[in-house]
Amino acid sequence: MSMLRRPNFAHVPRPAAPSTSPQLQQRLQILKDNDRAAYDALQLTLPELSGRFEEERDLVELLGLLCQTSAEAPDCTLALIDRLATLPPLKAATLRKWAFDGLQRFRNEPIKRLRHFELGDPLAFGAGDEVTDAEHLLGKRDELLHYLAGFGFPGQRLELHEPRTVGSAPQCLTIGNELLLFPRSFVSVHTDLREHLYRAAMAHAAAHMRFSVQSRPAGNRPPMLVAMMSLVEDARVERLMAQQYPGLGTLWGMFHVATRARAGFDFAGLAARLARTLHDPRYTDSNAWVTKGRRLFEAAAARDLHDILAFDKLARLLAIDMEKMRLAFKPNMYRVEPAYRDDNTVLWNFSAPSTSDERETVVREKFELKDREIDPAQAEHTRRVEVDLRRRTHYPEWDCKAAALREDWATILETPPGKDATKRSMQRPAARGGLRFRGLERIPDRSIRINRLEEGDELDLNAVVDSMVRRRSREVPDPRVFRRHGRRRRSTAIVLLMDLSESTKRFVPGSFTSVLEVEKRAATMVAESLDTSRDRIAVHGFSSNGRQEVNYICIKDFDEPFGLDQRNRLRAQEGRLSTRMGAALRHASSALAREEADNKVILLLTDGEPSDVDVFEDEYLVEDTRHAVTMATGQGIKTFCLTLDRQADAYVRRIFGARNYLIADRADAFAGHTGQALVKLIAH
Amino acid sequence: MDPNIRSYLIEKEPYYRAAGKEVALFGAAYARRLPMMLKGPTGCGKTRFVEHMAWRLQLPLITMACNEDMTASDLVGRYLLDADGTVWHDGPLTLAVRYGAICYLDEVVEARQDTNVIIHPLTDDRRMLPLDKRGELVKAHPNFHLVVSYNPGYQSAAKDLKQSTKQRFGAIDFDYPPAAVEAEVVAHESGVTPEFATKLVGVAHQSRALCGRGLEEGISTRMLIHAGGLIQEGVEVHDACRLAMTTPLTDDKDLIGALNGFVESHFGPQP
Repeated sequence: MSMLRRPNFAHVPRPAAPSTSPQLQQRLQILKDNDRAAYDALQLTLPELSGRFEEERDLVELLGLLCQTSAEAPDCTLALIDRLATLPPLKAATLRKWAFDGLQRFRNEPIKRLRHFELGDPLAFGAGDEVTDAEHLLGKRDELLHYLAGFGFPGQRLELHEPRTVGSAPQCLTIGNELLLFPRSFVSVHTDLREHLYRAAMAHAAAHMRFSVQSRPAGNRPPMLVAMMSLVEDARVERLMAQQYPGLGTLWGMFHVATRARAGFDFAGLAARLARTLHDPRYTDSNAWVTKGRRLFEAAAARDLHDILAFDKLARLLAIDMEKMRLAFKPNMYRVEPAYRDDNTVLWNFSAPSTSDERETVVREKFELKDREIDPAQAEHTRRVEVDLRRRTHYPEWDCKAAALREDWATILETPPGKDATKRSMQRPAARGGLRFRGLERIPDRSIRINRLEEGDELDLNAVVDSMVRRRSREVPDPRVFRRHGRRRRSTAIVLLMDLSESTKRFVPGSFTSVLEVEKRAATMVAESLDTSRDRIAVHGFSSNGRQEVNYICIKDFDEPFGLDQRNRLRAQEGRLSTRMGAALRHASSALAREEADNKVILLLTDGEPSDVDVFEDEYLVEDTRHAVTMATGQGIKTFCLTLDRQADAYVRRIFGARNYLIADRADAFAGHTGQALVKLIAH
Repeated sequence: MDPNIRSYLIEKEPYYRAAGKEVALFGAAYARRLPMMLKGPTGCGKTRFVEHMAWRLQLPLITMACNEDMTASDLVGRYLLDADGTVWHDGPLTLAVRYGAICYLDEVVEARQDTNVIIHPLTDDRRMLPLDKRGELVKAHPNFHLVVSYNPGYQSAAKDLKQSTKQRFGAIDFDYPPAAVEAEVVAHESGVTPEFATKLVGVAHQSRALCGRGLEEGISTRMLIHAGGLIQEGVEVHDACRLAMTTPLTDDKDLIGALNGFVESHFGPQP
């Protein structure tokens, strides 16, 4: 395959097909500004493309996708544009899923990412509405990881293989370093058996991880010998595993279906029959080679299942016999049978040199730890490198068009609060700015009892007895013989989340106060007026510069007082960069999740809709923010938005729901509105 | 023995299979009348152990399951009314103190803090219980012994014993017994064959590896006995395990899926 073919720039680009849609023009303009090379390349294929899409909407979608990918990876965008004309007819959504799958999976591996765009098969994502094997498997991912943890391997990850390219061998499970790669589809297995197959595969992987020697040097062994040794090793570890987990034998047995008639007499067929013979003592095979395999294996197994060298020896004998039969073995097209077994790459290290193919040691090399000699000049250099102390946290983002969560897509960079911050508790007496919580929001608490009441929910038995005793002794009885449960105020934890984007520098219409100034006043008011004995408040701010850099600033953390340092920090904040609300809301939610309070509230102060420099689709961030809000609600966190944007109705209602926002149109009323909103939120 | 507490005497030996030195340790602690605290996950045999020790020491056993609604007077007793006037009724703790029995407070952290404080004079060298309402000071019977249990796993940090309470007790840490012992217990209690019990215990061990992945505690020995009992009743293995072990444990779909997978890895796929 040729590598990236750059468009021929000597050729004068033809003008694009005349288009009337302003959306289309807008996206073309964005692409032009962002990535001139991609724009030029697209100009070449655009006329052809516009013929292929019946509706212009699809073309707009496609251009939106290209804008996004060009912000992420310009080289991949060029590769994609190059392929566009030759791709089979696709839905834009399918293409999108495929493109983002590649961008996400290979976010740290640019070469593989480019390959994905050059050679990957978008059709693998286009199986219509039915649940594909891949999606089905991903839905079971957590369950399978729990399952694997039950065998003693808790730190694993589970991912999918790259989509198959045309003409390559069928894939099997691959066991890597704390990573299991599943094939995207299992061709030979009926869909009803899928879940059993996954578990069988996981149990098989666990058997390898527990009993196999991993990464043995393959040396100059011929591929067929490697395949045969792997087959014997599979049978050996499964037998060991089944001693401890007797049900696994039956589970694996469900997939051993090779017979003389079905599997045939070529190498793969005989191998599958041998695998079945070694697995299932009740199965008898007429083939002499297979029978010999069973005899040798059972003899070795009877001696010691842990004696790897004995099993290697019998595998070698079998391979030599196979060689004599002159059966063709195509290593590239060979797929291990049955379907649940892995490709055994975990057993071998194909690049390491081997001492000799007969006397290789099975004991893994010992590593010696040596102190590396440090070049003084270099040490000087390393010391000078500034360390970014900001804590990095990754959050997913919701892609509304693909209806899928992009994992670890946005990165939050959190500035920790100053070190001396917690020392001082110089808190000015709170100037109660009109926030009155009294009388609201009291909930019954059975651990509080109010005794000696004249009326109440139940009789206080001790008081009744006392009262009767007094009556008998002709004293005045005490009529207060009732009691009831006490009520206590709900405790509340609040994150006041301030939008610190560039746009907050603007003045609020009709006044000479900037939006940021108004936000700061509101934050101060709220932080001062809360009763700190019950309620905990944190003041955080955010601004973003693309998905890799969402700055999150802790102005006042939960454990800090609202003292001088915090006030200074609040005063020092300036508006800059953009507004990636979803990531900030997710981070605020996770901060609240660590709090123990009856009520958890995020109060967002902003001046406009979410936006960021690397996003060109209007809907994307709005829908992502909505998803973040829904997720927060699911965790019992209420979100409320106060905005100064008069045109906010359109999106704020969509994001936060009909009752959870307030549009303040005057600067001087903003702080008051914030207080009221908070009182309402805590009350209900 | 006083007729008031004779009914609390355990007559038949309760089955208990020791996994460590707990029987000897408890015996020694009793000889010194050191109050005991039994810690450990739910369903690992704490209560059964106390019953067994009560039988072994030939002491009546008075058990109180603590809850947050329990008051001090529920424990020490109160005045009640009858036709002639007020009558004092001893609570379970006073009964044990007065006549000499083991008082076992199950899940003691669930009780309110004020309830815990009344056991303080009983648990140091004073060994007495003041009944302020009655104006009486009950000196503990020489046989009286206080035992409490709690499960440190699921209670939050907010629900913890005070240091002043904790430091009065000796403690034995309970855990699920080793696999072979646990299988023996399951086989004995439920009636299944030892091989079968070993498989059930294998499932429980796998489930206990999921602690911290969304599961608070793994499958307990008690659950295994329940499942074994159902199997003895003729219920199909997978159904019994699902009913008694995996479904009650959690509501998380993925976890239940994995737990049923463990059952499958020991008993094979459900036919």
